Amino acid sequence: MTGAVTIFKKELKGFYLSPSFYIIGFLVAVVLSWSYPIQLNLFSQLLANYMFQQNLPQQQLNIHYALFLRHMSYLNLMLIFVVPALTMRLFAEEKKLRTFDLLLTSPVTSSEIVLGKYFAALAAVGGMVFLALLYPIATRTMTQFNWAPLLIAFFGIFLVGAAYAAMDMFCSSLTENALVSYGTSVAFNLSIWFIGAGAELTDSQAVRMVFEHISMNTHLGSWAEGTIRTSALVFLFSVIALFCFLAERVVESSRWR
Amino acid sequence: MIEVHDLTKDYGPRRAINMINFTVNKGEVVGFLGPNGAGKSTTMKIITGFMAPTSGLAKIAGFDVFESPLEVKKRIGYLPETPPVYTDMYVQDYLKYVAELKKVPKEKIKAQVDMALEKTNLGSVQNRLIQNLSKGYRQRVGIAQALVSDPEVLVLDEPTVGLDPKQVAEIRDLIKVLRGHHTIILSTHILSEVQAICERVIIIHQGRIVAQDRIENLAVQNQGQSRLNIRLRKDVSDLKTVLGGIEGVVSASQGASRHDWEVHIRGTDEVVDAISSRVVQEGLGLLELSPHKVDLEDVFLKLTYGQDQMGVQP
Repeated sequence: MTGAVTIFKKELKGFYLSPSFYIIGFLVAVVLSWSYPIQLNLFSQLLANYMFQQNLPQQQLNIHYALFLRHMSYLNLMLIFVVPALTMRLFAEEKKLRTFDLLLTSPVTSSEIVLGKYFAALAAVGGMVFLALLYPIATRTMTQFNWAPLLIAFFGIFLVGAAYAAMDMFCSSLTENALVSYGTSVAFNLSIWFIGAGAELTDSQAVRMVFEHISMNTHLGSWAEGTIRTSALVFLFSVIALFCFLAERVVESSRWR
Repeated sequence: MIEVHDLTKDYGPRRAINMINFTVNKGEVVGFLGPNGAGKSTTMKIITGFMAPTSGLAKIAGFDVFESPLEVKKRIGYLPETPPVYTDMYVQDYLKYVAELKKVPKEKIKAQVDMALEKTNLGSVQNRLIQNLSKGYRQRVGIAQALVSDPEVLVLDEPTVGLDPKQVAEIRDLIKVLRGHHTIILSTHILSEVQAICERVIIIHQGRIVAQDRIENLAVQNQGQSRLNIRLRKDVSDLKTVLGGIEGVVSASQGASRHDWEVHIRGTDEVVDAISSRVVQEGLGLLELSPHKVDLEDVFLKLTYGQDQMGVQP
């Protein structure tokens, strides 16, 4: 596993010491800095006037629902486009620069290459999620709320980002063109988000259950209230494992193709 | 050290290399010679474990490349056609990274990196980004990368491409220094390079080995033969008939015009003497007559292009 650690360290430096990572981080921060205060303001107005609002759902008075859940949805929307930008170079660039030859002729296995790169991508995604977590943390100076549901929610969104990273890394391994990798990655990320909508399509109870288990909206809602459902964990970890495995197969295939 | 048996590789319907067999002993420097597209790089890629052969096997230090790739890769330093450098890394960091990848023990890494920098004369650029280096320097970083793990076997694919003449000379000197300590196999299509640094040469053409021998032996393969370049003032339609009757004239072929002829002879100075006096006697206006020893280049051309011309498959 030392090979994986070596590659992990190199890729991690590649992320955190490159200007593009900080430019992406900056842009994410710009969008969140615009959307979060607006949501916060709306929420505080709602609380001030809630007596006048008729039939307001109780949930809307809860900061975890009314504010943090929306914040997470925005973050998720951005991750769909940002994670591919981070991961598109992982393999595509190596192939283009021919440094892939170096990796393949070094005494490291394909799974070490993939794991090293995947964990580095996770660290980069983690950085973005942490950036978004700073906003609720700052809110703590103004109000009181429970830490646990917030942290669980962000752990959940990090897992979603991790699933994106696995799919996007696989996309990157397929091509030597970073742009193609980006495009296919976004398509993959969007599809996992919309797949849950299939529940509307069917009358069959069993099929609907399946779709609900893999629906991201259901999972996001339950994380916001501090629940971790096994179905969510199983689904996301399956996606991660599947695409890491597929990426490993692609890397391995270049040895015998 | 390197054993290759019946190695064959197909790219789709195209056969890149066909039943290649050779062995390289420990400490030897072997040149891999052939025209473009002959299968040099393919063979090297298989030896390094980068690609799998379609059939046949390759062994490095007794380890099968396909069965125990990790053991093989630990023992190999490989410079591909394009130096595998990360353009956004510093030279020193890059070499450190490669050393770690190649499983060089931690305490030795610094010494090995310094050694590779010193051997390839990269000390002055070690703290520069690779993307700011010229092609020649990148090539040298590529060579340093192959050396950094101090491997038993060095596989260099066209190591002197893109270097200026001084750097080429330096790299040749470097390879001479490495000889004996490392087993080196290098591909090139520059003949003087092979003559300067290799002990043995393997000539490969259209995926097959057409000759493998020590350089001295190859050069004397056509021993006794030499080539005369003759330039005349007058037009001659067939020099062969003019030279008819002289013992030792093998062939006479027309050069650029009917004034230039190339005559192959077998024998010694007497034949040259006889030819020159015959030409003078005939009053053809002898302007130039220069004898050439048959060298590696002739052997190479004869083995590759010569066979194409005659339509004979090797």
